[in-house]
Formats: sequence, C-alpha cells, structure tokens
Amino acid sequence: MIGRPRWVGYALLAPALVAVGFLILYPLYLVLALSFRQGKTLNVLRLAELPFGPGNYRTIFASDATWHSVFVTVVYLAGTIAPAFLIGLGAALLLNRAFPGRRWLRSFILLPWAVPGVIVSIVFLWLLDGSFGVVNALLRQAGWLATDLAWFANEDTALAAVIVPTVWKAYPFFTLTLLAALQSIPSSLYEAAVVDGATRWQSFRYITWPGIRASAALAAILNTLWALREFDIVYLTTGGGPDRATETLAVRIYQEAFAFFRMGTASALGVLTMGMAILLVLMSIRSIRREYF
Amino acid sequence: MTRSRQWLLVLAALAIATVVLFPIYWMLLTSVLPSELTRSRSPVLLPELSALSFDAFAAALERKPVLLWLGNSAIVTIGATLISVVISTLGGYSLSRFRSRAQQGAGFALLVSKMLPSSLIVIPFFIAFSTFGLIDNRWGLVLANAAVGVPFATWLMKGFFDGIPREIELAAMLDGCSGMQAMWYVVLPLAKPGLAACAIYVAIVAWSDFVFARTLVSSPDLWTLTVGMQSFLGEYLVDWSSLMAVGVLSLAPVFVLFLLLEPFLVSGMTQGAVAN
Repeated sequence: MIGRPRWVGYALLAPALVAVGFLILYPLYLVLALSFRQGKTLNVLRLAELPFGPGNYRTIFASDATWHSVFVTVVYLAGTIAPAFLIGLGAALLLNRAFPGRRWLRSFILLPWAVPGVIVSIVFLWLLDGSFGVVNALLRQAGWLATDLAWFANEDTALAAVIVPTVWKAYPFFTLTLLAALQSIPSSLYEAAVVDGATRWQSFRYITWPGIRASAALAAILNTLWALREFDIVYLTTGGGPDRATETLAVRIYQEAFAFFRMGTASALGVLTMGMAILLVLMSIRSIRREYF
Repeated sequence: MTRSRQWLLVLAALAIATVVLFPIYWMLLTSVLPSELTRSRSPVLLPELSALSFDAFAAALERKPVLLWLGNSAIVTIGATLISVVISTLGGYSLSRFRSRAQQGAGFALLVSKMLPSSLIVIPFFIAFSTFGLIDNRWGLVLANAAVGVPFATWLMKGFFDGIPREIELAAMLDGCSGMQAMWYVVLPLAKPGLAACAIYVAIVAWSDFVFARTLVSSPDLWTLTVGMQSFLGEYLVDWSSLMAVGVLSLAPVFVLFLLLEPFLVSGMTQGAVAN
C-alpha cells in the first residue's frame, strides 16, 4: 500500500499481540510447566527448584474424583446443549417470521445471553429455594410436590438444578446464530415448495434444515466450549457440592488451586480439560467439513 | 399472511418471552415487595401496585457498601473497556489492511481463547500478579479484564474494517494524508458503529466478571458488585429482597448496553466471530 511500510502493520498489531500473549501463550506455558512440577509454590521464579516429573498426572488419573468430575462435566454439557438448542431453534423459527413488535421481542428473548453469571446464579437460587422459592410454591399448588425440595442442596437434583440456569444463559446464542442462518435462506425456495405442494414438515426438512445445519453445528461446538469453560453458575449455586454431585472440571480446577493451593494438580486438571476441548474441536472440524465437501 | 395468523405468532412470541423472562421479572418483583410478601410459602405472581416499595433498595444500601462496589465495578469496566478498545482497533485495522502471518494466527488465537476456562486462566494471572505486586490491586483487575476482551474485540474490529473499502483511504492518501492520518480522519469515523459494538461487548464482559474479582483482589474496599453479591449468599439467613435489589442495580446498565448492542449482533456483522 502507498506510503505504509510493513513494520507499521506489525506496530499496530503489537499491543494486541502482547495482550494475546499474556492471555493465552503465557497461561498455556505456565499451566503446562506447573503441571510437571510437584509441590507447592506461588513464586514463579522458584518454580524451577521444584522436582520435575509426571507426579501430578499420576495423582489425578489415579483419583476417582477426577473421573467423577469428567463424568459430571459430560452430563452437564449434554444436559445443557440439547435443551438449549431446541429452545434456541424454536425461538429462532418464531423470530424469523414477520409480526408486529418483533424487534422488541427479539431483544428480550436474547437478553439472557448478556445477564452476568452471578446474577443468573442468585436469581435461580431464589427461584428454586426450598422453602420460599416460587417454583416449589407452584409445584405444591399443582400437587406435584409435597415436601420443601431444596433443589441445589439435594444430591439427586443438584446437577439438574445447575443445568437449568446454564440452559437459560446458553439458548440465546443458538437463537442468534440460527436466526442469522434462517435469514440467509431465500424465500423463493419456500414459495416453490408451496407450489409443489410440500407440507410444512417437508419444507423444514428439505429447505430450512439444510440451510441452517452448518451454522447449527458451529454454534453447538462454540456453546459446548462455552459450557466447558462455565464456572460462575456452578461455583456460586452449589460450589460443586453436595458431595461433589456438581463438581465440573472448571470448578474442581478452581478448588484445587485456590481452596487447597495445589497449583500443580490444578494445572494438570487444566491440561485434561483443554485436552477435552481439543478433542471436541478435532471431532467437529471433521463434521463441519462434511457439510461442505 | 392472514391477520389471525399474525396474532397467533405474536401470542406465541409473547408466551416464549414470558417464560424465559420470568426469572428477571421475579428478581425485579422480589426487590420491590416487602419481605412479608416474598418470604411466603405461596407467593403472589401479580401483586397489587399499592404493595410495591423500595425499602429493599434502602436496606441494601444501608447494610452493605453497595455504592462502593458499584464504583469499583464502574472503574474496572471503564478502564478495561478503554484499554481493550484501543488495542483492538489498532490490531483489527492492522489485520484488515496489512497482509501478514498474524492474520492466519488471529482466528486460531480466538479459537484457543475459547478453550481456556477462566478458572484456569486465573491461576497464571494470580501467580504473575503475585510476582509483580499487582495482587489486591485495582489496576491488576483492569489489566486482566482488558486482556480477556482483546481477542474477540480485535476480530470484531477486523470485520468492520474489512467492510470499509480500501479505495477511500487510498484517495485520502493521494490527496496528501499520511497513512495514519487516513486512518484517523477517514477510516475511524466510518468505523464508529464497530467501535460502539466493540466497546459495549467488552464492557458487558468486564462488568460480568466474577472469577478475577474474586481471586485477584481480597480487600473488601476493592470488591466489585459481583463479589459483593456473593457475600450475601454466605449469610445464615439470606436477605433475598436486598440481594435482588442489588441484582437489579447491577443488571440495569447491562440491560441498557445490551439493547444498544443487540442490532449489531443480529445484523450478522459478527458472523464467523460469534460472541460466546
């Protein structure tokens, strides 16, 4: 380009590179390094003095708690993504139609995406409170519940209870991406289908679904990665309890690091979590490619 | 479409909105009802207007340093947003206009940033900040939140700059502008909507932060709203009315920002770099 040497481009990019280095490269390096150092230290300069070895990995892989956390995480991810996708798709199909007041309803239906995790947590703690929660009051009125069920404190219901607010925060992302995909489908296709006598289900199956499949896959991957990272909701509502019933990997990493100050095992668990994320991305890269080739 | 079909759609949309917004409605309602009505085993879904009062807000402000938390959250959010927007604008402009290896790397960096839980990132941050004396320091919190916003915001700005034709700055440069002048006087004014979207996105993320504020600062003087709200939960008898009042105060700015941001999100400008 006229008058602009290459170094200008790099100079403009430099602060962003520093930020990315600080946010991504440095944590990746330090987490990997810490995961191979046994013992406790908070001083990075003294990290090299700790014995080097795979001890932390041996500890976490030998521990039942780790595999339990992996299981809880997988249930949490699946339990979040499937309902969030269905609600998100339903809302997107609805918002794709023209009706008065659509602009405002769209804003309101998408709002939960922006609600901070802490607020989501306190609101659902209150809604699902055992004695005074409105959900229990409604269930009692309907005759479906006889006792004061404390959803977050009961071992059998806690995981379902943390999934509900997560779904609530996750579905708008599906609505957003699916709505964008729906709007890119030319309406002439639907008109042609009507002329050809297609039923509504056939229109959906052969026009709508192929048109949104690729976006749906991408959104599902990104939302699964988001749920894998999600920490605030579980930590604030149950803290991983009762008796580890909701202890996802993200929560366990934090507890190891900041409740027990075992940075080494926390880092090894972090590497395990990233391994799951990488596996997910690799698996889905193939499925996304299949959409195109 | 017939008129009755249209009304059916409106009704269906209203029904969905009612269900999904009920949690927010309930928070709002709890914050403006006296506790005799909220601490009830059969709460009223639609109370009379005469029952409404703002006592819970007064009680919250009196019992807890809510204004201090609000101020801390505001400082952290504004600081992180300013830093992040400047960095991302420069970086996004560079990625859009200069062909470099960083361009291929940028998408990859964004993807990797989506694989790191904040509860994991906070470990290296905690260690680094302890080493450099930034622990329990407001500016440390600002830096951490600014860094988190950069990858996505840079990608967003690149997208906006891509939409501004190069010919416009070339014309300015032929007329005697330097490269930087062309960016400052010609491109940036055109990118204003992008800057707004970028700033709002980063502000929402920073305002919502809990992990960093919980871990990187410890003095109650530096607590943000999110950490303050958590402190309610530790009490033996949770004061739900006051907690919901603080929640309402904390959600109000997010609500306004989101209404401003939402058209950008939907217009598909962020396609491919979808915010999550």
